Amino acid sequence: MLSNFTKIEGRSFSYWRIIILLGVLILMGAGAFIAVEVQGHGITGMNNKIAWGVPHVFAISLLVMASGALNLGSMSTVFAVKQFKQFGRFSAFLAIALLVGGLAVLMLDLGRPDRLLLTVMHMNFRSMFTLNVFLYSGFIVLCVLYLWSMFEYQQYTKVVGSAAFMWRVILTTGTGSIFGVLHAREVFHSALTAPTFVALSLSSGTAISIILLVTTFKHTKRELEDKVVFGLRNALIFFTLLVAYLLVVEKFTKMYSPAFYDVQSWILTGPYSWLYIFGVWGATILVPLGILFHPAKGNSIKGVYWAAFSAVIGTFAMVAHILLAGQAYPLNMFPGYEVSSVFLDGVSATYTPALVEFILGFGGIAITGIIYMLGIKFFRMLPDKAVAPEGYELPWNP
Amino acid sequence: MRSLQSHPVKFTVLLALVWAFVLVLPTMVVASGHGAAAQQSKVAYSGGPPQLEKAKGDACIRESGWMRRNHMDFLKHRRAETVREGLRIRSESLVRCAECHQSHEKFCDQCHNYVGVAPDCFECHSYPK
Amino acid sequence: MTMDRRTVLGLGGVATAGVVLAPGMTLIASPQPDKTEASGDQRWAMLIDVNKCDSDCTACTKACRQENNVPLFGDPNRDIHWIRKLEIRDKEHKRPSVSLPVLCNHCEHPPCAHVCPTQATFKRKDGIVLVDKHRCIGCRYCMLACPYKARSLVYHKTTIPEDGNPKVPIRAKGVVEKCNFCVHLVDEGEKPACVQACSKEGKNAMIFGDLNDPDSEISVKVRTVKTQTIRADLGLKPHVFYEGL
Ligand code: SF4
Ligand code: SF4
Ligand code: SF4
Repeated sequence: MLSNFTKIEGRSFSYWRIIILLGVLILMGAGAFIAVEVQGHGITGMNNKIAWGVPHVFAISLLVMASGALNLGSMSTVFAVKQFKQFGRFSAFLAIALLVGGLAVLMLDLGRPDRLLLTVMHMNFRSMFTLNVFLYSGFIVLCVLYLWSMFEYQQYTKVVGSAAFMWRVILTTGTGSIFGVLHAREVFHSALTAPTFVALSLSSGTAISIILLVTTFKHTKRELEDKVVFGLRNALIFFTLLVAYLLVVEKFTKMYSPAFYDVQSWILTGPYSWLYIFGVWGATILVPLGILFHPAKGNSIKGVYWAAFSAVIGTFAMVAHILLAGQAYPLNMFPGYEVSSVFLDGVSATYTPALVEFILGFGGIAITGIIYMLGIKFFRMLPDKAVAPEGYELPWNP
Repeated sequence: MRSLQSHPVKFTVLLALVWAFVLVLPTMVVASGHGAAAQQSKVAYSGGPPQLEKAKGDACIRESGWMRRNHMDFLKHRRAETVREGLRIRSESLVRCAECHQSHEKFCDQCHNYVGVAPDCFECHSYPK
Repeated sequence: MTMDRRTVLGLGGVATAGVVLAPGMTLIASPQPDKTEASGDQRWAMLIDVNKCDSDCTACTKACRQENNVPLFGDPNRDIHWIRKLEIRDKEHKRPSVSLPVLCNHCEHPPCAHVCPTQATFKRKDGIVLVDKHRCIGCRYCMLACPYKARSLVYHKTTIPEDGNPKVPIRAKGVVEKCNFCVHLVDEGEKPACVQACSKEGKNAMIFGDLNDPDSEISVKVRTVKTQTIRADLGLKPHVFYEGL
């Protein structure tokens, strides 16, 4: 199976319509950024209890998906899954696009983005943030090298691809650790937070790849064999089960210890329980699995597409839950006591996101989108037709 | 497959553009004076050379010419040492500048407006008008 | 003025100070030598006797607001509290509730400083944890890391209040701030504003001093009475001690 890579035409009306739409979103995002900088964070919905809000949900979800997007490449390069080899370029490129989009949101939400350079001048190596800066920039470099090797020097693909794969595991561990290492926050302080992020990145990366591949191939009228998509479906099922497994283990351990009864019942019944039940369990796990295991829907491209869609929404919901519920849960300063004060100690924090925050977040998604759209127009990212290798049979079907 | 020599170059260019966008945006905001580091109201400069109000005391803590050229570095350097190392030199404290140079408008702003700089120190630190 | 430890330590400085002193500066007005620096010889700490603290007294919080120009925006979610009064009660409501002030604990192992990407938050040599507002990029990671909710972001533009304290700068929007143990007073050999206010109120519930000095009031107390810190299990070694909790 030798695939022939070509650029997409990118001259149609609908192509330009998407580009213009994304451009407008980026401009609106830039406007939101300037508004927040001029007016102060007072115009957002964030407050002193929920200091990280919607922009961070967008940013971190995009970062998680970025490392997951490298999946297809890793599966072919590192694990020799042949039918994904044709998506290697796509996957490395998508990873970069998502990462840039996510980082942009993260940086543009700073209270003082004008001082960004100080981060480089006075590095604090103990900070998870600083480590992440290295991890992200290293990841981008590795992805570029990986891409380059796929274009020009295929003999190095294996080495660079493996390095990129290892790097992404560490990278997502780093992202998860931003939260996992914070001892004071009972909702997400756990050694399992980082592995859960890794699993989440695998499932969401696969899901976003499914969505983009199916849509792009459809609109460019290229051939995408069903078997290839179903291969991805099987991967998505496996990764989703992995996420579910880690979530269950984490809950199980915590439910076992009376010290965590309060937090756990708060998660299940408190103000953010809807996000936990419908977002984390519903959209991330149950809906995709329900569709994918369904004998008819699981065997149709449409079904797989919507399952992937739900998984992506679920990723945002899960990050939102970790972040928002994690901060909203009152800090337990006096275990065993009820606390009250003028500073709203002892009560769940409230947070109503403002529109600007969403505009900023969608601006980040639009940056990712525009990089992707321009990338497939100017480079030979995608194969003419994606077919499974000769004689390939899916190991499993619902 | 081997004829794609130009791709990495184009690719790098694209990436560089994106990063430039991400990094330049905050810088532009600062440059435009709209950043959180909102700068002082810039009085449009009119008139001849700056007229400095005469200082009250006998002598500055450093020679005037030196001060004119170096006060910003001097203050900034001391700022880091004071905040981070707790260095307090009482005779040279910023609060004491105002003992002699009693008006921000009649002293500091005069030159600052003339040369068109707008340091944001006094957004937070108080100094007599 | 007695020859306390600080004066002895500063003696070297005093000798030179006499020479550098600017006109108009008298030694009587300031007992400190002209030049001082934070040093590891000291370890500032606070001890709060909860039994002496009344639930309707807010002298400390008011004094802090006044001394440090801490703004109130009228939005309880965003108001900035460097020190706040907490009411705690056992869940079964068997015992009466206890009232106590909570401020930054100036932790020995401050997680806020550990996570700060620019080292804007740092621990001074004498143990005071400070935010360098010239360097803070407003990422708010420290706000997630502090277990005591001691930190606030400045959400709105603030101005120097009419009756404000000109010695303490206000903070620009977009940076994070918190209690600084009244570093400007401590460096001048005075007690923090909240401690002063507490004794002026006649409560004397708060004492402040140097833990490295074995004879200071606080050292003696910490050695002899049973004291506690908040969430000692987190291992941050807070330096605000509570008695009678
Ligand atoms: S109490 Fe909070 S803000 Fe203060 S030093 Fe400890 S962690 Fe930092
Ligand atoms: S908000 Fe400021 S002080 Fe806090 S971690 Fe970020 S840079 Fe450091
Ligand atoms: S020590 Fe100073 S800054 Fe800290 S709470 Fe007391 S008065 Fe406020």
